[in-house]
Amino acid sequence: MKRLAPAILLVFATLIAIYMGAAEIENFWSALISPGSNEILWQIRIPRVTAALIVGASLALAGLLAQGVCNNALAEPSILGTTAGASLGTVLAVITGLAQVGSIGAIICGAVGAMAATSLTFKLANLRAQLSSFALIIVGIAVSAIFTAVVGLVSTMVSRADARSISFWNFGSLALVTKENLVGISITAIIGAIIAWRISPALDRLSLGDATAFHLGVDVTKLRLIALIALSLLAGGAVSTVGSIAFIGLAAPHIARFIYGPTHRTLVFHTAIIGAFLVVVADTLSRTIAQPNELPIGLVTSLLGAPVLIALVSLKNNVWRTQ
Amino acid sequence: MITIDEITIVRDGREIIYDYSEQIPAGSITAIVGPNGSGKSTLLAAIAGDIAPSKGTITIDDVHPILTSPALLAQMRAVAIQNQSYHLGFTVRQIIELAGPADDVMKALALTSLADRLVTTLSGGEAQRVSIAAAIAQQTPVLLLDEPLSAQDVSSRKRIIELLQKLAESGVTIVVVAHSAEAELTWADKVIKQFL
Repeated sequence: MKRLAPAILLVFATLIAIYMGAAEIENFWSALISPGSNEILWQIRIPRVTAALIVGASLALAGLLAQGVCNNALAEPSILGTTAGASLGTVLAVITGLAQVGSIGAIICGAVGAMAATSLTFKLANLRAQLSSFALIIVGIAVSAIFTAVVGLVSTMVSRADARSISFWNFGSLALVTKENLVGISITAIIGAIIAWRISPALDRLSLGDATAFHLGVDVTKLRLIALIALSLLAGGAVSTVGSIAFIGLAAPHIARFIYGPTHRTLVFHTAIIGAFLVVVADTLSRTIAQPNELPIGLVTSLLGAPVLIALVSLKNNVWRTQ
Repeated sequence: MITIDEITIVRDGREIIYDYSEQIPAGSITAIVGPNGSGKSTLLAAIAGDIAPSKGTITIDDVHPILTSPALLAQMRAVAIQNQSYHLGFTVRQIIELAGPADDVMKALALTSLADRLVTTLSGGEAQRVSIAAAIAQQTPVLLLDEPLSAQDVSSRKRIIELLQKLAESGVTIVVVAHSAEAELTWADKVIKQFL
């Protein structure tokens, strides 16, 4: 039951998310099993909820990879600069006319931006040939601040509607997702998840430190590079399509570790499910609790994720406790 | 056989080891003795392939560790570092199984009763035994241990030494770094005192 609980909750949350909204869906169950029968359901709500599932899983896996590869409980895409890098890559692609928000072109530019910012953080935090945990967080916050500031500057300097607002890049929104956008983020999510699954045993060994991981046969430099690519694809896909959504990358892996333990192969699946669940619930709340207005989803994920995280950290059986 | 041929190791601009040669026979226990900062752990790290000598060569059965891939190297030598820290709450069994089969070595080092304990809840001595057990579980022909007895009580020391002697008899080459305060090294087949 413990194994299946998040998946069962996810199914319920998804159905509720599809059902709830400004417009009531008549004959919900029959419309749900007849593709295309109800325009609001099939053109707006299902694409949006599907995007929430994929984005949630992507951000959660990005967080799991970031924490695993940095061997640091605080590492997550928004702290390493990955999210801000993805935002800048996408904004630059959009304002130069290279791509539209949500397109595969934008996702590629987002992933390149994510990779550039994260590489910069890794490079600057690499002290005496070791990835320093303390430097990683400080440098990551600084890199993130610089990239976020540039996104703000660029977004205010251009008037193109498709560049979207600063609030979109800071807090995220699923309101503008279309069916066409799902292709790109599905591809990045699948590639990222496969890579995460493949490198899971090496991430377990890396949790014993760089030296011991090397003694156990892990090529640490190569592992970090592969994880960086996967992390950038996952965050790049999610951020370039729906903007930044806080806390999922931090909260979902921690919740999964608390329930299922530290083995990464188990965590890949459960972290993705929990991340998808959190974003689906947050998105449903963001568009229903203040109707007809819609709250930025990043605010809701912070309000949901932070207390859960605090509760888990304060519990004694914390798998991240240092000896 | 481990052959150390005229190596010099410089770290942070400081010459730690200068023009040093040694031969470590196969199927034996060799202890490297010296005080803190004498370079004995650096020598062990160089044998393990962690650091490259600035001059000279180290070979394990004619293979250069520094030129060998991590995966292949992990089949040749296992290492138990000093002060292994554990951040994630794996159990004792899970940690050892990351290296190899756990049951026999847990039994030999009196860890079976701790098999399902989180490693983050162990005492220093217990955690050190887990680290040694993981290195042995890797089942390599060369075993490199950095101060494996420093946090052990009398009975655990005896148990570890007996296991190492049994492994050496079966052909494993064991190199142990020991602090100069280590009283008796009668259990070692060879003692290297150049670092004293």
